[in-house]
Amino acid sequence: MAVNETLSPALRLLHLSAGLGGPVLAFALVFVLWAVLGAAQLVPEAIFPAPWSVWAAGREMWEGGTLAQDLGVSLGRAATGFAFGASLGIALGLLTGRVAVLRWLLGPLLMLLRPIPAIALVPLAIVWFGIGEGSKHFVIGYTVFLTVWFNTHHGVEYVPETYLRAARALGASRRREFLAVIVPAAAPHILAGLRLGVALAFLSLVAAELSGASSGLGFRLQEARQYLRTDRIFALLILLGGIGALADLIVGRIGRRIVHWQQG
Amino acid sequence: MSAPGDLRIEDITILFRGRQGPVTALPPTTLHLAPGSFTALIGPSGCGKSSLLNAIAGFLVPASGTIRLDGAPVTGPSARIGLIFQHYALFPWFTALGNVRFALRRFGLPRTEEIARARAALAEVGLGAHERKFPQQLSGGMRQRVAIARTFAGAPQVLLLDEPFAALDAQTRRGMQELMLEVWARHSATVLFVTHDVDEALLLADRVYLMSAGPGRLIADYVLAQPRPRSLTQDGGALLAIREEILARLHPQPSAAPSRSPGIVATCPERSQP
Repeated sequence: MAVNETLSPALRLLHLSAGLGGPVLAFALVFVLWAVLGAAQLVPEAIFPAPWSVWAAGREMWEGGTLAQDLGVSLGRAATGFAFGASLGIALGLLTGRVAVLRWLLGPLLMLLRPIPAIALVPLAIVWFGIGEGSKHFVIGYTVFLTVWFNTHHGVEYVPETYLRAARALGASRRREFLAVIVPAAAPHILAGLRLGVALAFLSLVAAELSGASSGLGFRLQEARQYLRTDRIFALLILLGGIGALADLIVGRIGRRIVHWQQG
Repeated sequence: MSAPGDLRIEDITILFRGRQGPVTALPPTTLHLAPGSFTALIGPSGCGKSSLLNAIAGFLVPASGTIRLDGAPVTGPSARIGLIFQHYALFPWFTALGNVRFALRRFGLPRTEEIARARAALAEVGLGAHERKFPQQLSGGMRQRVAIARTFAGAPQVLLLDEPFAALDAQTRRGMQELMLEVWARHSATVLFVTHDVDEALLLADRVYLMSAGPGRLIADYVLAQPRPRSLTQDGGALLAIREEILARLHPQPSAAPSRSPGIVATCPERSQP
């Protein structure tokens, strides 16, 4: 009964608090649960380490200097792959969304390519680019590209006819119709694609680093597995989750600023 | 050649592809709009009014017949034929000023002059104070005023309006009608105005065409010489007689009771064009 009484106001608080309050509270709850589980020592540390062990493992990696280095390498790879994939995806999507022949050709192709997971590309990437940076950039770039392309294509294809008619009746040239009407009209879709692309960049980053890397967060995960350092695995997973969420938040923020008209 | 804006619709037919072959959207129709005239077109839903407007605007190609503006055939959309849509069709990524500037771009003006002219156009419709606002920050009536300013800024010779005020409340609509007449008086353009509202047609137009139910033909034509601004209650007489006649033609049953609805609308309201 006492538990119920303390929980219900907490839950109400969770509902009430918009913005950061809610998530912070949710994390606090999960953390408390985790800590209780760890303190009770129901599960061996090697399987499910307690929060303080994970914290210690994280500090250990940080103080040893590997964490910062791995983080830098991984972020660099994600950023490079993302930059390539996103720019190519936007460019191609703008083209294929407007050109009927390409639209007809690429629709089925996209259907076939989309279900292929990033990790399935790793063998091909290694054959093509070796185990150096090239193959990582390729895997990340490709997954980002596909999503950004698809979303851009879709956004451009479904630009409301009224906008195009208004633009043409106002004497807009093809060039201006494209730059001042089609691109902004498709911008919400493009930004949604970029946001998905950021998430996918992190997913495929780990896939790319799990095989044939000698640094990076994915490599460090693999290494931790070999030494059965579950505490390190947890620390790295939490870090990956945190960076991914942060990146998503940043891209979402920037996106909302750019397509300010979407939220009325 | 006479003054610009002479629009001749010569025997055009509009067909749509249906599941069982072509469907007639507009049977052979001929219409001449004199330069600077203001013509209203009233008709029930699905009578082909929007198809006719779309053909004149160059958005669809008639199956037969020609549309000529000052002698030259209309082959596609151009800045010579302006449009005002029921749902404004403003670009939400541009401010009110940006929307008007979009129409001015084709003149290739220096930046400062373009801005000055856009400002003047907004001031003309009473929106001088709102130039930095985005369409979604404006009310429906204000949005339509931006659209009017934008369309006239492009200096079209022909202006097509597809139920432009149908989405507005009665009071706003009245104000918009007056504004429309004022702006039109200052810029000369040949106007074709599609509406459901018989009163609106009688207040604005100098010629009213009536279309029958779809596929619609032009079944009646009224010339209104009354000076504007008009009022149905004060000018009474002739306009009211025409109004009765139009309503009787639109609703053939003798049950036409004008007091029932304030706007006097021809049959069911039509959805906006795509």
